[in-house]
Amino acid sequence: MNIDALVPSSIDGLMLGFVYGLAAMGLTLIFGVMRVINLAHGPVIALGMFAVYLIGTQFGVNPYLGLIAVLVLGLVLGIVMYFVAVHRVINAPELTTLLATFSVNLMIIGLGTVVFTTTPRAIDMDLGAFRTGAITILGTKVVAVLIAIAVTVGLYLFLYRTRVGKSIRAVANNRAAAELMGINTTGVLALSFGIGIMLAMTSGGLIATLFSFTILAGGVYELKSFVIVVLGGLGNPTGALVGGIVLGLLEGLTTIFMPVGWVPIIEYGVFVLILLIRPTGLFGAR
Amino acid sequence: MIAMDVKEIESGYGEVQILWGVSLQLQEGHLTTLVGSNGSGKTTLLRTVMGLIPAWKGTVNFDGQDVTRLSPHTRAQMGLVMIPEGRQLFTDLTVMENLEMGATPGRARAGFQRNVEWIFDLFPRLEERVRQVAGTLSGGEQQMLAIARGLMSNPQILMLDEPSLGLSPLLVLNLFEVIRRLKEQGHTMLLVEQNVQMALAVSDYAYVLSNGRIEIEGEAKRVREMESVRKAYLGL
Ligand SMILES: Nc1ncnc2c1ncn2[C@@H]1O[C@H](COP(=O)(O)OP(=O)(O)OP(=O)(O)O)[C@@H](O)[C@H]1O
Ligand SMILES: [Mg+2]
Repeated sequence: MNIDALVPSSIDGLMLGFVYGLAAMGLTLIFGVMRVINLAHGPVIALGMFAVYLIGTQFGVNPYLGLIAVLVLGLVLGIVMYFVAVHRVINAPELTTLLATFSVNLMIIGLGTVVFTTTPRAIDMDLGAFRTGAITILGTKVVAVLIAIAVTVGLYLFLYRTRVGKSIRAVANNRAAAELMGINTTGVLALSFGIGIMLAMTSGGLIATLFSFTILAGGVYELKSFVIVVLGGLGNPTGALVGGIVLGLLEGLTTIFMPVGWVPIIEYGVFVLILLIRPTGLFGAR
Repeated sequence: MIAMDVKEIESGYGEVQILWGVSLQLQEGHLTTLVGSNGSGKTTLLRTVMGLIPAWKGTVNFDGQDVTRLSPHTRAQMGLVMIPEGRQLFTDLTVMENLEMGATPGRARAGFQRNVEWIFDLFPRLEERVRQVAGTLSGGEQQMLAIARGLMSNPQILMLDEPSLGLSPLLVLNLFEVIRRLKEQGHTMLLVEQNVQMALAVSDYAYVLSNGRIEIEGEAKRVREMESVRKAYLGL
């Protein structure tokens, strides 16, 4: 146990929490709008990592500029995924949609392994660091936090201030009534799926500026996303950000008191505990 | 002029047929009422006309087009609007957001502000509650909002499925007053109502649906006088 590490490790965890929250937001938005649990969430996060990496190495584009391309790419990929894998089973029982997204998961992992192998990659990014005493804060982490916040604020404004955003909330609330009001609900579902995938890929892109990764690296974040979504309340994007921060903090603290290997155990302990005590999430209204 | 022409509609749920060749016509600017006992298929007919469930046979003509195979949202965009049974509000959205969603059809966008003012004139209660989340409104207020939301779309044809359900007697009177005003403003409406007496009193034309078939049709004041109607639906 190293008590000197308490503050630095908490700050570190807290900052990562924003990025975890962003990933979870993608998962929870899709669930909130269409009651589909996207089991391809992890591989999509990994695709975000590779997208930023490849755009950087192939075209020499700065990773943060690459993220803008990833936003568009994620949106398009998500919409395509919706029509290929989800739309036909959208009204089917939950097991069917789970299987549908799980097959997408297998396809991405399979293809990704062939194309990229499982050799770890890393993006060469150095924005320096701020140091005071025992605390070191990497510039890349600060930027990641700022981007995560910006994307969250953007999502919030979109959902609450624009007509299209409001129709996403309307469809989430009552799909049949939305259709009766003249809202093209299929289009809205596809768009929501696109935004969910976009958020997941963006978080992947940010993670890639912090850690090395393989095509399998998304799995860890997918599991974290599930914990966060349960913390923040299923279908609640703002809850996801708070849940992400809580989880990040918890992770930062865990690593001080026990080996890193314990992190998942603690996380799933929390996961199970919340499911038992407050299945609507700590911040879930319903 | 005929605003909507429904011909020989057959439909149902799964294997169960509910409607057996229903035909009806809405005259432009007229209030038409659809009477029938519980389970006779009134809601099923409106749902089929709207496209929420497919027509097995028959056609729906509206706005000079056969719309039988179009999606519900396309029909709504064209101006065929249904205020469903049981309100079906966006309970997590505010009153104003519900009205905005009602104004989704492109044809309703330009007149949005004018429509909002008109709605608040019809339902002053809603104006006091614009920022309130719809799910927290009282039952009567929710029903007003459901009607208001439908009106926001500038409907060419408005179909109301039991709008007075669950309202207090006073609110029912208010509702019929609103319906009368809408009629005076020239709206084409199809009304399904439990208050058969009141519905027939304000309507121009009436259809009586029984076991999925149109049993009687005629001018509302004639239908009101019919012996069988008085016995079965007016309790006289
Ligand atoms: N979703 C459904 N699945 C199966 N059967 C249904 C469904 N909805 C309605 N029905 C059946 O169809 C028949 C007609 O129902 P419908 O709701 O159209 O009647 P209604 O005339 O609107 O009655 P009410 O006055 O009670 O509203 C009923 O026998 C009902 O049980
Ligand atoms: Mg009914």
